Amino acid sequence: MTAATDTATTDEIGSGIGGWLGYVGHTLGSMPGQYRVGLRQHRRRTIGLTILFVAIVLYPAVGHYVLADFSRNVIPIPFPDDTVSTFMAIFAIMAIGLNIVAGFAGLLDLGYVAFYAIGAYTAAFLASPHFGALGINLVFLGNVGPGAAGIHLPYWIIMIVAVVVVATFGALLGAPTLRLRGDYLAIVTLGFGEIVPLFFRNLSSVTFSLTLGPIVINIANANWTGGAQGINPIDPPFIPILNWVFDARSGPAAVYLGLFLLGVAILVARNLERSRIGRAWGALREDETAAEMMGVNTVRTKLLAFALGASFAGVAGSFQASYLGASTSDFFDFSISILVLIMVILGGIGNIWGAVLGAFALTYVDKTLLPYIGQRIGDIAPSLPNPAEYNFLIYGVILVLMMRFRPQGFLPSRQREAELSVHGLQEAEQEMGIEAEVDNISVAPPGQSEVGPGARDVEVPGEGRDL
Amino acid sequence: MDALIQVLIIGLANGLIFALVALGYTLVYGIIELINFAHGDVFMLGSMLAYFLIAPTSAGAWGIFPITADTPLPLKIGQILIVLAICMVTMATLNATIERVAYRPLRNAPKLAPLISAIGMSYVLQNIGLVWGGAYQRTIDSVFPSTNLLEPLGITTIAVTPAQVFVGAVTIPLLIALSWFVSRTRQGKAMRATAQDPDTAGLMGVDVNRTIAITFLIGGGLAGAAGVAQLLYNNYTQYQLGFRFGLNSFTAAVLGGIGNLQGAVLGALIIGEVNALSDYYLSPNWTQAIVFGVLIGILVFRPTGLLGQQLADRA
Repeated sequence: MTAATDTATTDEIGSGIGGWLGYVGHTLGSMPGQYRVGLRQHRRRTIGLTILFVAIVLYPAVGHYVLADFSRNVIPIPFPDDTVSTFMAIFAIMAIGLNIVAGFAGLLDLGYVAFYAIGAYTAAFLASPHFGALGINLVFLGNVGPGAAGIHLPYWIIMIVAVVVVATFGALLGAPTLRLRGDYLAIVTLGFGEIVPLFFRNLSSVTFSLTLGPIVINIANANWTGGAQGINPIDPPFIPILNWVFDARSGPAAVYLGLFLLGVAILVARNLERSRIGRAWGALREDETAAEMMGVNTVRTKLLAFALGASFAGVAGSFQASYLGASTSDFFDFSISILVLIMVILGGIGNIWGAVLGAFALTYVDKTLLPYIGQRIGDIAPSLPNPAEYNFLIYGVILVLMMRFRPQGFLPSRQREAELSVHGLQEAEQEMGIEAEVDNISVAPPGQSEVGPGARDVEVPGEGRDL
Repeated sequence: MDALIQVLIIGLANGLIFALVALGYTLVYGIIELINFAHGDVFMLGSMLAYFLIAPTSAGAWGIFPITADTPLPLKIGQILIVLAICMVTMATLNATIERVAYRPLRNAPKLAPLISAIGMSYVLQNIGLVWGGAYQRTIDSVFPSTNLLEPLGITTIAVTPAQVFVGAVTIPLLIALSWFVSRTRQGKAMRATAQDPDTAGLMGVDVNRTIAITFLIGGGLAGAAGVAQLLYNNYTQYQLGFRFGLNSFTAAVLGGIGNLQGAVLGALIIGEVNALSDYYLSPNWTQAIVFGVLIGILVFRPTGLLGQQLADRA
């Protein structure tokens, strides 16, 4: 079995999720010869991911009957329950979205929580009795009786609306930041991330009057957003004929809906990464000036990164609000943005699977493991501090240590690994069979290579696999 | 009109405290182009340390310097000076340690790596504050009498309190001393050289690592002084104080033109006034949104700030 024929079979199978599944089938089908080649070609990851995928799909159904009993009767191990599992899926969708903005396009967004909040409030506005108090009533295919107060749309429509609304806000908030780079961009997005939840918190008693010729708008003490209490109850996702409800009491059903949405998110992100726009993001991240010279429309590319990245948070936010049946502004603070950022960094910035695994791991640690350890410590020595209260102390240390010792994350994207370390660049070059001399070829003669202060930002000459 | 002047005086005092913190941001950004996210939390720990030194043991603090409004003036001044010195030295050491542990190893990494490290450090410090001081707001009784210093002049509608004079007495000498240090001393010259071009400065014999460490020492010291001023002027501290205060001060530094010392002070005074005006005329609920609006507005429309600092490709 030669490497050449193996490459040919990989090409036949194609790319994307289908290609991945095909590759797995192909590899398993032609063991052991092909299997060894597969392993040698750095595809151990494929096998590992397959096992993980099966485990994740089986978990919500099996967890209840097998693992919970095991944990109760044999050895107490903290397994995530249905709520935590659902949140794992929600945060994984968010991490994939942030990975598009920060990982693919290289735009560090510290205000990602804003889009999460907008998604959640879109669901809250469109599927709750809230607007009944303002005299706005609309029931369409909702699982409430006819004539119910407020707006009630089915979740499936709301999700699409949320994607459109959030993507629009993503582009709107992205537009002013187009000229900014690096850390200034981070701070502006942080500002948006703080302002948006403030609006949801403060617009609970709006009073103003406006006269435009014959049109007189008079609003007195109108409650638009529910203030600090937020909005509830929100209708849960619902399939009419089968009578399936996906709310906090529905057990594994909601987990499977979450996993389904996550699967769609992975599929979309994977295709985006390999599309023309995905390659444009890569070029933009490597070197904005060079990308522009090569004909990449930087304005359009950046806005698409913001809009498409944000739309994932729209799905996550609307699903979360519908699932929990409530949306409060206090939930959406800066720490959520940072939590999602840590998920992306832990997994390996730029890598979709890394983002998913980072989200799973960190959500599990945050919502199951730390409270469990805290409870155990509380049983034994109540005077000791509860680690669940100081979770961000641990995450802060993780961030510092990750940047110091493993900035490429635990499942690094090969390309980002190359950017983050010179050593990694050499490794990646060896893997890709590129001679190191390529680095010495430059467009301008050495004396004229000064391209302005921006040249300092280019740490490693961009050896773009995608270019 | 009197109300407006009163609001402006309150804003001025808060603006002076912002100035001390903003200088820490601007010094560090000027020299290594890093938004030191953890700086606001160093300030918070400074105010927390001051609280533990001053507040009585009955409140769970140490009560080493039990300053109250009744303490005789010379003793009070002496004690405040000692508290200031302790907080400044401790926070300077802490800030330089953070630089050594979290930023120096990343000196040659891509630019966003130290920023992310700084965010992590900010959470570490914030949680140290949480473990140390608890989740609630810790308050002290005002150590200054609430007399109006303008009353002897026959003005009763506008008040300037001894606490406000104290803020000026702490901050203005420090600002002058810093300006002198940066523009007149040999070490200040090394700082300016490193800010312009670290590589060339190194070739000219400047110890770049030492210069950066000294910059962090100075920034930490100023943050410690600001922490004491915050505690004795606003009479409270809390573990979350650093985030809000830090963003206000960072906005101030950007408003003035980041890397520009005079600009940071000017920006801080403006941000202090914006805070006070918004608190009074609009609602404290919206103040934070307005400050962020100012920040976004400057970064988008005039990234070089009011007094200007050519940042070329970076912004």
